[in-house]
Amino acid sequence: MLHTLPHLTHKSSTEDRIVYFLFDRDKKALSLIFERYGSLLLNVILKVVGDRQSAEDVLQQVLIKVWNKGHTYNPERGTLFTWLMRISKNAALDQRKTKDFRMTSTSMEAQSVVSISNDFSEESHAIRMETEQMISHLSWEHEKLIKMSYFEGYSHAEIAKNLNMPLGTVKSKIRIAIGQLRALV
Amino acid sequence: MNIEKYLASGVIDSYWAGELSDEEMQEVDALTMEFPQIQSEMDEIHEAIVQFAKDTQNMPNSEILQKVELQIGHSEQEAFLKVLEETQEEPDYKPLNMINVWSIAATILLIFSVSFNYIFYQKARDVQHQIQALNMENTQLAEQVGQNKAALQYAEGRMAHLLNEDNIHVHMVGLAVAPDASADVFWNRVSNNVFISIEDLPEPPHGHQYQLWAIKPGKAPVDAGVFEHTKNVQQLKVITGNIEAFAVTLEKEGGSPVATVNQTFVKGFLKKS
Repeated sequence: MLHTLPHLTHKSSTEDRIVYFLFDRDKKALSLIFERYGSLLLNVILKVVGDRQSAEDVLQQVLIKVWNKGHTYNPERGTLFTWLMRISKNAALDQRKTKDFRMTSTSMEAQSVVSISNDFSEESHAIRMETEQMISHLSWEHEKLIKMSYFEGYSHAEIAKNLNMPLGTVKSKIRIAIGQLRALV
Repeated sequence: MNIEKYLASGVIDSYWAGELSDEEMQEVDALTMEFPQIQSEMDEIHEAIVQFAKDTQNMPNSEILQKVELQIGHSEQEAFLKVLEETQEEPDYKPLNMINVWSIAATILLIFSVSFNYIFYQKARDVQHQIQALNMENTQLAEQVGQNKAALQYAEGRMAHLLNEDNIHVHMVGLAVAPDASADVFWNRVSNNVFISIEDLPEPPHGHQYQLWAIKPGKAPVDAGVFEHTKNVQQLKVITGNIEAFAVTLEKEGGSPVATVNQTFVKGFLKKS
């Protein structure tokens, strides 16, 4: 089903702009989705497929699907993020069903998902300084919880198990961590 | 609805963390659209996470976006080329189109040809009619010229005889048989030749001819000769002696030795000198 091109003004939200570009077949839609939702979509894909390389492949497929099916998005049925999440979860589940994924996933199980954070070692010195300056205001635990919850594909239950915490405690600590982060940003 | 309590539940954190089911996310979306306070909380948490991702290099690899844009570019190029190929693939009905085009062209040429033929035919007929009319006019003119020439010869002949001082001019006028008739006789007193010039005599009936007679006192009319019914001055016989008058009678073709007096058309007396 095709939807009317939304009216765009200087007061339009980022989501409105993305939807406008998506309906207008403008590639700016993809770069904005990548910037605003890419990390969160990758996170939820990672929860399903388990390894970052596969998750990135799936994210790539998701963005192509979004481009091809952009005209089917109906803003009246939910936000753009909900629609993107639905596509991402389905794509991730489809990936898990493939033969290639089952063959490679066993070798990936040995690697800790937490190792993604090791990417920090490759950062430039200047960026690391800036990052550390901001992150230093967060406690180690809060930083860890934010990364695990929003970027490393851990569910709240997995975090609880991994950090040996009750599920309720994990949720409340994440809540506090987000509060701290909002205050910093 | 207690919005503070709802926000404190951490459901917005779970929303962005992908912890909620599709149905739960739609519920949050509905409440977000209804309550600006929830919308604000949603936006702030989202912004904080995005900023954190950027600052901590937790953004996805930018090569993913580049690969996607490249793949889309290829797809659009293929689609474009496919459209071009489909546009060019029209062999099945192209010949039919060509036939139609040639048929239309031939029909137009035929119409033009017939139209021009008709126009030229009409013009040719007009020219033919004009030529016929001109020919007829020429014939009439030629006849007119002939008539004029004859009239001129007649006038010249009469004038010559009138001006000749040796000629005696006798004007004959119509009698009871033909009151409007008239003719002239020129009698040369030196050579005694007689000439006749018809002014107005009726056309003689078939098998008949006019004959001139010289009348001498106390004698029977003397045959002066038969003549043609033309306007030309005709020379007849030589007549000598004392002539009183001339007369023209209608006789059988070839003439008569004796004048048929009751068929005298014109008669004229010589002026006494």
